[in-house]
Amino acid sequence: MAEQANDFLKDYQAMAQQSWDAWTRYLQQNSPSSNPFGGGASPFGSSSTGDDFMARSMAALKGYGDWLQGAASSGLGQGPADWQQSLQNLFSNLGGQPFANAFASIDSEAAKSFGQLWQSWFQANPPGAPGMKFDVEHFAAFGYTREKQRLQQALTAAMQNYTEWAGKYQTLIQRANTEGFERLQGKLADLTDSSKQIESLKALYDLWVDAAEEAYGKIALSEEFRHAYGEMVNAQGRVRQLQQSQLDAWCRDLGLPTRSEVTALGKRMHELRREVRGQRGAQDNDEIANLRAEVAALKRQLADKPRPAKSAEKKVPSRSGKRATDDVVAVRRPKAAPAVAARKSVARGVKRK
Amino acid sequence: MYPPLRLDPAALMGEISAFQRKLTAGMDNLKHQLEPEYANTPRELVYREDKLSVWRMKGQGKPTAKTPTLIVYALVNTVWMTDLQEDRSMVRNLLEQGEDIYLLDWGYPDAVDRWLTLDDYINGYLDRCVDAVRKAAGADAINLLGICQGGTFSLCYTATHGEKVRNLITMVTPVDFQTPDNMLSSWSQQMNVDLFVDSMGNIPAELLNWVYLTLKPVRLNQQKYVGLVDILDNPKELQNFLRMERWIFDSPDQAGEAFREFIKEFYQQNKLIKGELIIGGKPVDLGMITQPVLNIFAEQDHLVPPDASRALGRHVGTTDYTQLAFKGGHIGIYVSSRAQREVPPAIHQWLSTRN
Repeated sequence: MAEQANDFLKDYQAMAQQSWDAWTRYLQQNSPSSNPFGGGASPFGSSSTGDDFMARSMAALKGYGDWLQGAASSGLGQGPADWQQSLQNLFSNLGGQPFANAFASIDSEAAKSFGQLWQSWFQANPPGAPGMKFDVEHFAAFGYTREKQRLQQALTAAMQNYTEWAGKYQTLIQRANTEGFERLQGKLADLTDSSKQIESLKALYDLWVDAAEEAYGKIALSEEFRHAYGEMVNAQGRVRQLQQSQLDAWCRDLGLPTRSEVTALGKRMHELRREVRGQRGAQDNDEIANLRAEVAALKRQLADKPRPAKSAEKKVPSRSGKRATDDVVAVRRPKAAPAVAARKSVARGVKRK
Repeated sequence: MYPPLRLDPAALMGEISAFQRKLTAGMDNLKHQLEPEYANTPRELVYREDKLSVWRMKGQGKPTAKTPTLIVYALVNTVWMTDLQEDRSMVRNLLEQGEDIYLLDWGYPDAVDRWLTLDDYINGYLDRCVDAVRKAAGADAINLLGICQGGTFSLCYTATHGEKVRNLITMVTPVDFQTPDNMLSSWSQQMNVDLFVDSMGNIPAELLNWVYLTLKPVRLNQQKYVGLVDILDNPKELQNFLRMERWIFDSPDQAGEAFREFIKEFYQQNKLIKGELIIGGKPVDLGMITQPVLNIFAEQDHLVPPDASRALGRHVGTTDYTQLAFKGGHIGIYVSSRAQREVPPAIHQWLSTRN
């Protein structure tokens, strides 16, 4: 009986593997330059979009597919055996799958590309000359290349610091992984008291996702995580900053514009824009204030003047064909938006001058 | 006492086979998908400056609302979430209710915009956009509908330019940036944001997307795509999925200076609710907001926890304050069918008694 079950599992595993391999081959065969979404005919446009989508979905689905296969062939939940031990075996045999894939991508895109960047930088710029036997990082810098040595030493130290904090961050992620599994066991144990049972791998997977997110959420909100996260980001910033300093120095040597120069230009341009806008606004405000004062003076004059007879009033039209008081009303109570009306009034005021 | 797992070998085989069959068959469907379009509700350009545009959205009939409403989205992601697809468009829904809707599309900042500050965004761009809408609509004051960070901007704007705002609606808007369940806030507390911005310049959208994914890493990096396999054979659902993916990942970089200020002043120092915020030399006091305020938040929001939004009620100066809790998440509040049924009608009803 046991042998029959084993045969079944072996057959199944072989079938599942063949199926997965076939699917992978299908993807490769149907893709121009190994990317079904890339190339000129791609409906997704640029190949980078396709690559990103492909990488993301493939990693996730492959992780899940591997987990399905591992779960099916583990004998989990298929007999009276100790389910906790089976579950433990399943997760440890798969190296924490599918958790590993899901969490591995936490430091994939941004962090990985950063890691690759500084590693290649490090290879291109070793901290000491070939064959040096002493501790370059802590060696006192002097001589003509003193400043360059200091910069290189600082960069090496910053890279080591980043590695240290990235390691601490990863340790916390692994802890979330472990605690997620423990929570899953707890959730399953809770089910033993009810008539509910997990009857599909998808249901088991979804329960594990809930457990994993709960564990991660708790750790991610902890002081320890906050500290490690902040320090990792800061360490990365220091490496990037020192690399830029070094690159700037090289660019200056080659007569190329540097990042710091471009940054300074941008900053000055924005300062100028603000200044110009501020002056224009102040000028508008001054003109409005002047106009208001002028209007107020006119009103006072009108009020002080003895009221002319009705017939006399008709003989003195304003330049615009309207009474002067109409202009007053237009300024004080604009029909359009105030700012726009104010600008129009200013324009009229300027013309009159 | 029952064993928690009852996994029948034959059933498991069927489950795995079905998964692989769907996946293999579905790849063909993926290959033939066109770039998913947004709803593309008809619109006309009202104002353009640098990279931003203000659009007047056009419905089937003329708006019945007397006061126009300007939707102010966050700088992260794009405003098209509000007009994602025909049957999931808050904008269309509001237009159908008779509202006169304008959208502020901030555009995609590049290196030239590296030094844009919050003052530039709020007292500069936003103020000029509001003026443009006032001019287009011939209105002294307009309604602001601020979303997420755009809601925070709208609060700052209303507190300092109150005469131009008739009613204020905030959606999933952070106000208290240091509630205990705010993961983004927790992660930002020990960040040296000066070093971060100085070394990065503008903050790449890809990096921010990565940060958002890590708020719920297993769900967003894996479970979501496992779920995709179930809809690969459903063209409509697949298009919806891909459209959402487009919106999520087609997002703008962040202007470095504005990002620096936002993290420091709001996340790290929580100045908005402390009454210590100064933008462009103007103190931002939420107590100065005396306009009617409708504050809508999502109960399952993992980006802006409900308590971060609820705080508004304690700090705003108005006596006409309404709060609406939506059963859903940060994105679901715009695109779920429940949202379509509940949110735009609630906004319209609230506005109609105040315009």
